[in-house]
Amino acid sequence: MFFNQIKTWLTSLSPDVLSKGLRIAVTVVVGLFLVRVLAVVTQRYIMRRSTAQRQMIARKAISYTGFVLVVVAVLGELGVKLTALLGAAGILGIAVGFASQTSVSNIISGLFLISEKPFAVGDVIRIGTTTGIIQSIDLLSIKIRTFDNMFVRIPNEKILNSEVTNLTRFPIRRMDITFQVAYGQELSRIYDLLAEIARVNPWSLDEPQPMIIFNDFKESGIEVLFGLWFTQSDFLDLKNSIMKDITTRFAADSVRFASPTRVVRVVEGSLTA
Amino acid sequence: MGKTGTAVWDRIDISLKECVAWRFPARSIWVERIDNEWHVLSLPDGGTRGAVRREPVARSQKPDSSLWRHYLHKEIGPVQPVPVLPNKPVVVRPDRSLTLLPGQDALFFLEIPVWFRLCTTVPRRLTIFEEAVVVLSKTWFGDPITGELCYGLATRLHQGIDSVEPSAYLAVCPLSVTNDSEMDLVFEKICLHVENLSVFRSPHRLWTNRLNVVFWGPEQGTQIEIDHNPPGFERELMLFAEAREPAAGWNIRKTFGILKSFTDF
Repeated sequence: MFFNQIKTWLTSLSPDVLSKGLRIAVTVVVGLFLVRVLAVVTQRYIMRRSTAQRQMIARKAISYTGFVLVVVAVLGELGVKLTALLGAAGILGIAVGFASQTSVSNIISGLFLISEKPFAVGDVIRIGTTTGIIQSIDLLSIKIRTFDNMFVRIPNEKILNSEVTNLTRFPIRRMDITFQVAYGQELSRIYDLLAEIARVNPWSLDEPQPMIIFNDFKESGIEVLFGLWFTQSDFLDLKNSIMKDITTRFAADSVRFASPTRVVRVVEGSLTA
Repeated sequence: MGKTGTAVWDRIDISLKECVAWRFPARSIWVERIDNEWHVLSLPDGGTRGAVRREPVARSQKPDSSLWRHYLHKEIGPVQPVPVLPNKPVVVRPDRSLTLLPGQDALFFLEIPVWFRLCTTVPRRLTIFEEAVVVLSKTWFGDPITGELCYGLATRLHQGIDSVEPSAYLAVCPLSVTNDSEMDLVFEKICLHVENLSVFRSPHRLWTNRLNVVFWGPEQGTQIEIDHNPPGFERELMLFAEAREPAAGWNIRKTFGILKSFTDF
């Protein structure tokens, strides 16, 4: 029944309309197929040694340009005059531009980000309170997967105006651990103990040497800054093991952490009325 | 049945349900054949230096551990233990600082702990597993942006082979250093790309290729040549393990860590 209706409708069309419709269909199918093939070939073969970010930009550039070309070809097939369309598009563009200043700002910010390259796809970045792995850098926004597996989209304009920390730009980093030790203990012994803790930890690098600084006299104890260098992949192993090592070794060697302390001195006779 | 010295690296036929252990000073490795699988257990020991033994282990005495690893390999045949050099460069820190005056040259013998690699021999050579017999610390050589991850090794700087104790797990690396610059060369640490070196075997020792290093100065760099012939300090040396990454010809690299470019804070 349904097929009969379609058949009847098709036979009622003139041969011109039929051939035009066929050409448009072929243009759309073949055009989009070619664009897809070109994008895949470029990404997988021509740019296989490029970074993931460059591959993604190339793929998107090819896809968007190809899509526009297919649309233009279809419009040409439909008899739409492109000059008039472009004129109308210009006027429309101004109107849309006023209405979508944020989007335009994001696009321009995206272009700056792509050219400045503060990070790339696969890097781990921190923006405000969000830390995660960059999945894509697009014209309007970047997409991040956080470590608790959430998807976060951050507009490019916000990134350009914020402080961005790229945690994986350099191959090694330093982990700074700050704590306080109680007054009245021999600092050289604590220094040696920390140096030994760093030396035996398998994830702490020998060089650059760990940094041990007695930083400040605080209210309840002396603040110690213990900085250990590590490679990116060892972050979690070092973080977990070093806290355990410090507490274990300090307990074994009777080193006391500082805890809030008040010394109350009672002056003789001051409590009498 | 037990073996010592470099004979521990001999090919061995482990029959079904037989367990064999390699005892290194700092690590023990058990290998057992069960049905179609190789069962392997590797545990650290507390030792630092000493002899290496290979011995059969009664099934009742093999360690009961959840760390046994299982490798499926249907073909039954002998296995070949192979001493290979570490998979990353090694930064050697001599136990004493030595300064090579301009125009001077010296020959040193460095001891580098090998890795234990177990290979099948039938129908073709496949690596079952490999592991360091001495776990070296990790270190960074160079600046924090362009440097490279290495293993750190504190070792004695032997100036004659007689002072090097024969060992079945420490490969002796003959290192010839020439100071061809106009400045003193302070030998504090040197980065050796051991992944480019092969291992040779004699009845008493393991050897690596001889390295010839010429220091031209901090700006001009260092020229390193790997001698591909067996080092001529012992007779009957045979090539036992090919380099992980064979190096081609001469190489110019930053080798000596004489410039500290770090600001520590």
